[in-house]
Amino acid sequence: NEELWVQSVLEMPKRRDILAIVLIVLPWTLLITVWHQSTIAPLLAVHKDDGGDSQRDLAAGLDSKEYCLSERDIVEVVRTEYVYTRPPPWSDTLPTIHVITPTYSRPVQKAELTRLANTLLHVPNLHWILVEDSQRRTPLITRLLRDTGLNYTHLNVETPRNYKLRGDMRDPRIPRGTMQRNLALRWLRETFSKNSSQPGIVYFADDDNTYSLELFEEMRSTRKVSVWPVAFVGGLRYESPRVNAAGKVYGWKTVFDPHRPFAIDMAGFAVNLRLILHRPQAYFKLRGVKGGYQESSLLRELVTLNDLEPKAANCTKILVWHTRTEKPVLVNEGKKGFTDPNVEI
Amino acid sequence: PQRRPEAALPTIYAITPTYSRPVQKAELTRLANTFRQVARLHWILVEDAAARSELVTRFVAGAGLPCTHLHVPTPRRYKRPGLPRATEQRNAGLAWLRQRHQHLPTPQPGVLFFADDDNTYSLELFQEMRTTRKVSVWPVGLVGGRRYERPVVENGKVVGWYTGWRADRPFAIDMAGFAVSLQVILSHPKAVFKRRGSQPGMQESDFLKQITTVEELEPKANNCTKVLVWHTRTEKVNLANEPKYHLDTVTIEV
Repeated sequence: NEELWVQSVLEMPKRRDILAIVLIVLPWTLLITVWHQSTIAPLLAVHKDDGGDSQRDLAAGLDSKEYCLSERDIVEVVRTEYVYTRPPPWSDTLPTIHVITPTYSRPVQKAELTRLANTLLHVPNLHWILVEDSQRRTPLITRLLRDTGLNYTHLNVETPRNYKLRGDMRDPRIPRGTMQRNLALRWLRETFSKNSSQPGIVYFADDDNTYSLELFEEMRSTRKVSVWPVAFVGGLRYESPRVNAAGKVYGWKTVFDPHRPFAIDMAGFAVNLRLILHRPQAYFKLRGVKGGYQESSLLRELVTLNDLEPKAANCTKILVWHTRTEKPVLVNEGKKGFTDPNVEI
Repeated sequence: PQRRPEAALPTIYAITPTYSRPVQKAELTRLANTFRQVARLHWILVEDAAARSELVTRFVAGAGLPCTHLHVPTPRRYKRPGLPRATEQRNAGLAWLRQRHQHLPTPQPGVLFFADDDNTYSLELFQEMRTTRKVSVWPVGLVGGRRYERPVVENGKVVGWYTGWRADRPFAIDMAGFAVSLQVILSHPKAVFKRRGSQPGMQESDFLKQITTVEELEPKANNCTKVLVWHTRTEKVNLANEPKYHLDTVTIEV
């Protein structure tokens, strides 16, 4: 009996072990099989570009298949027709967008212009007018513009000491970039004749803002002056024109001085080139401009409130953000500079 | 489908941790505008969140490039200043890549790098990193209290670090200064960013220690003399005029 008992004691753990193994291993086997199946199957799905999918008005050849992939839906994309032409081929039917960007030398300058160029390179029929606040056109900007492949014009004019900001003081009474923008306006008037049939749109794009590609397509249909909301200005999430049911601008949704003639940021409007050429006296006012009135100083020479064309779904979408870049901490450079000044940043 | 030259290009995987704050959509927008210029780039966007946000979900749907949208929340105890950030999110990106590729029959060439959503990337950088065999390195602008930091290169090999902060680290390099081949990530399945025992500023070093040696590093950007990526940071937005009460009648996403 003892032997039998010993035998059965030896056998019972074995049976229990087997049972335990089955109960533990089986669910895991099932789980792994199912998980394995679900990750492999989608991997075998191949999507081809069907060509007619373009949502944006971009040149042919651009693969714009858009994907939203969740953790489990992993779809392999086989790109057969992606053509990376930078910038897109010039079109005979699109008005040219003249983007006027004042810029000045500081450590983040090259970075800012690089990422701005990466955006502009998507936009067809874009002409970048880069105006340096400098005595001469600098090699850094010359090289950068050439290397982007963009259609560009490189200008420069130095802001006289009286108007230049001292150090990092952000005094809104002194309008930064004004002389540079005015120089670009003058260049346009000297380059294009009043009777020129070349349609164009003029837009002032500061080098630290953020622009969506949709914005450029919205402004392309500007007849006189078009307007839209701008994020992160006036101490708000966004400022915006007020648009009535008839689609007309009748006021400004701002906290800071909403009674300005045009309570709008530089990034919030575009002007038809024809208007610029037909009003050759219209410039940004240089002297005696109150903070926030710079834009008004130009716009009141060009247009009335009634003529404004609201874009971005009647001014309900944000397509441009007034981002600002932090001044980088360069404390380890010391007084004389530590890093090799020949290495360009 | 015909095999085009692009099909032979190794895929570049950009792992971007992101978190909700006013400038988030702006940052992602301009980053997408850069990434969309790059052939065969797959964006892995990882939210620091318990659930996918509507903003990022909508953004990804219209982003215009292959994009994987993940999320993992940072445990509250790790959300203190001075502690490393985005650890869980980068690890989630690595986990996804491993899960996706581990079971494929043929190895797929690929390179991954960690792309924070406020840095600035030149298009040339991607050309440089695409030829990564194991781990490649290059200079980073505006970091370490200097105009740039860079690996010091002699005879095509990294021999030291030109950095403003703790040059004694085994890999004195910023997150934006290196890329790793997919093969290396797959063959080191346990290599992750660590929290335990990791001092602040040692994240990159502790990670690279697990997968490579200084001798193996491949210097890019003309033997590490050109700055092709900048550690830019965006100012916090001034929302002083936002009303506490009498909110707007419409909800507009910024």
